[in-house]
Amino acid sequence: MSEKPISSRKYTYIHDEDDTGFQSIDSHHIMVPKSRSRQFLLYSSFLVLMAHVCSLLLGKEEWRIVFPWNSLTFVILAAALHLRSIEKESVLIMPTFGVQLETHYRSGRICRRFIPISKILKPVLNECVTPTTCYWSLVLILRGDKELTLVFQELQPPLEMLVSVWKALCTAVDGDTTTDCGMEVDFRASIL
Amino acid sequence: MKIAMAVQRRHRVLMVSDFFYPNFGGVENHLYYLSQCLLELGHKVVVMTHAYGTRTGVRYMTGGLKVYYVPWKPFLMQNTLPTIYGTFPIVRTILIREKISVVHGHQAFSTLCHEALMHARIMGYKVVFTDHSLYGFADVGSIHMNKVLQFTLSDVNQAICVSHTSKENTVLRSGLPPEKVFMIPNAVDAAMFKPAETRLSREEIVIVVISRLVYRKGADLLVEVIPEVCRLYPNVRFIIGGDGPKRVRLEEMREKNSLQDRVEMLGAVPHVQVRSVLIRGHIFLNSSLTEAFCIAILEAACCGLLTVSTRVGGVPEVLPEDIIVLAEPVPNDMVQAIGKAIRLLPKIDPQVMHDRMKSLYSWHDVARRTELVYDCALSCSDENLLVRLSRYFACGVWAGKLFCLVMTLDYLLWHLLELWQPSKDIEEVPDIASESLHEEMPWSVETEAI
Repeated sequence: MSEKPISSRKYTYIHDEDDTGFQSIDSHHIMVPKSRSRQFLLYSSFLVLMAHVCSLLLGKEEWRIVFPWNSLTFVILAAALHLRSIEKESVLIMPTFGVQLETHYRSGRICRRFIPISKILKPVLNECVTPTTCYWSLVLILRGDKELTLVFQELQPPLEMLVSVWKALCTAVDGDTTTDCGMEVDFRASIL
Repeated sequence: MKIAMAVQRRHRVLMVSDFFYPNFGGVENHLYYLSQCLLELGHKVVVMTHAYGTRTGVRYMTGGLKVYYVPWKPFLMQNTLPTIYGTFPIVRTILIREKISVVHGHQAFSTLCHEALMHARIMGYKVVFTDHSLYGFADVGSIHMNKVLQFTLSDVNQAICVSHTSKENTVLRSGLPPEKVFMIPNAVDAAMFKPAETRLSREEIVIVVISRLVYRKGADLLVEVIPEVCRLYPNVRFIIGGDGPKRVRLEEMREKNSLQDRVEMLGAVPHVQVRSVLIRGHIFLNSSLTEAFCIAILEAACCGLLTVSTRVGGVPEVLPEDIIVLAEPVPNDMVQAIGKAIRLLPKIDPQVMHDRMKSLYSWHDVARRTELVYDCALSCSDENLLVRLSRYFACGVWAGKLFCLVMTLDYLLWHLLELWQPSKDIEEVPDIASESLHEEMPWSVETEAI
């Protein structure tokens, strides 16, 4: 059973509820669509840069030594970019058991972190202020941990998507259907 | 004659200053109390200041007052490093996400205030500026400061000063037309400053001094005045609260004249303990060499103390003539004034004085008057960039051209930021409903005009 996905300019949010197994798993995924034009631009700009460097050095005799190094640098940079490219970030909520945070990279690598439900004190929507901007993030306050744990480590999804995940986490942590956090917040009306 | 009452327009105000809590002082106090009273009137107030140590990010204070502690490190005297364009992205983000309608900057000495006002004007927001201090004209520091002020105030919609003297000073320094400047005095929290429950006996007269012991606050005058007063009036004692570079001179004066039992030095007094020090005295002595307003004498009068002060700046405008004795900032004159105050003491009733101060000054009155200034600012017409640039051009031969260049670059940077991070990508913050906002204000009802 899945709800209709919510899309923004950069991200797509998909909510899945899997009741078939031993326990129901509430999955929330934030997908990053593959932007072909962005990748093309990125790689081609690197090619142009390397070609320029090569052409400058072709006039000199040392190009035989410099050219392989340039190519190697380009390969390393491209590989680093590809490895860090994120496909999606997921939150799997297993009620009464725990929460699994996953980051899926395009290279196939998956980073997982499991947090037992008893360790979570409260999921919180936090406003992060940096020297240049301010954005919303969803964090977990864990028992015995001074630092806040980010639910979405790399991505910065819009507030609308974060609210759905936050409500699901609140329900799982509190163990009841009401999400009472002490204040009435009408998010939908303000955003839409 | 029936007076038409306009529907209460709800403003969304961004207060900007380098000076806010947890730092303590007059500007910080003013910002906080004004914000709280504006919140009670139904407006939305957001404060923007720089980070204090580990205190960064968003904090909520009493009444839902939202404070942005932006992580820019202060570099000199609590001021953010002036980068001219560096704060544009964060100021733009805050203005858009909080749906601000008017930006209110405080204190001419705050670099964050000047930068934020410049960026807000470029983006077309209405801007109000409050000046809290008096500045000179002659020394190098003042000349540069006044030029920066002239730049900021060239394009501000309205300005507020805390006394008539301060208004004159600001108008002369910045060249702003006087009709744009409003005079709204500071106020005092009468609930916090109450007289002592039992009246002090007048066998021994206690004179209280609470100020930073620096040159500007007349600490050198105290060094001359105190021994003379102690010699002339054997039943007078002094209590001095506060710290600073001139403390050493006062300690030396105490030693030299053997006044250890007649002059008590308390050191730095936290603001929360100021009242408990004030109610120990009969007379409050203020020896400042310059003051735009002087909240200290207001606090002292609220506690029922008779005030003796130097006649400088905006001080004569603060208290009624019968509860203050003014003197020239010269030791002999001050000693005579203290003598006059001692003779006046039997006629003073602290509770009557407190009630009078309570009726004369209130932060709610300041908030209502500030609201009128916001209404005026919002009714100002929108001007295009060329008209505004012509005002900057008139600032000086070289300065005018420089200011125009700075504003043009700022305008281009704004459009660059619009391309890099379009406004529609910046999410607006939902309003968190709180109880006070749900209460209906009696004057928010529209009545018919005749």
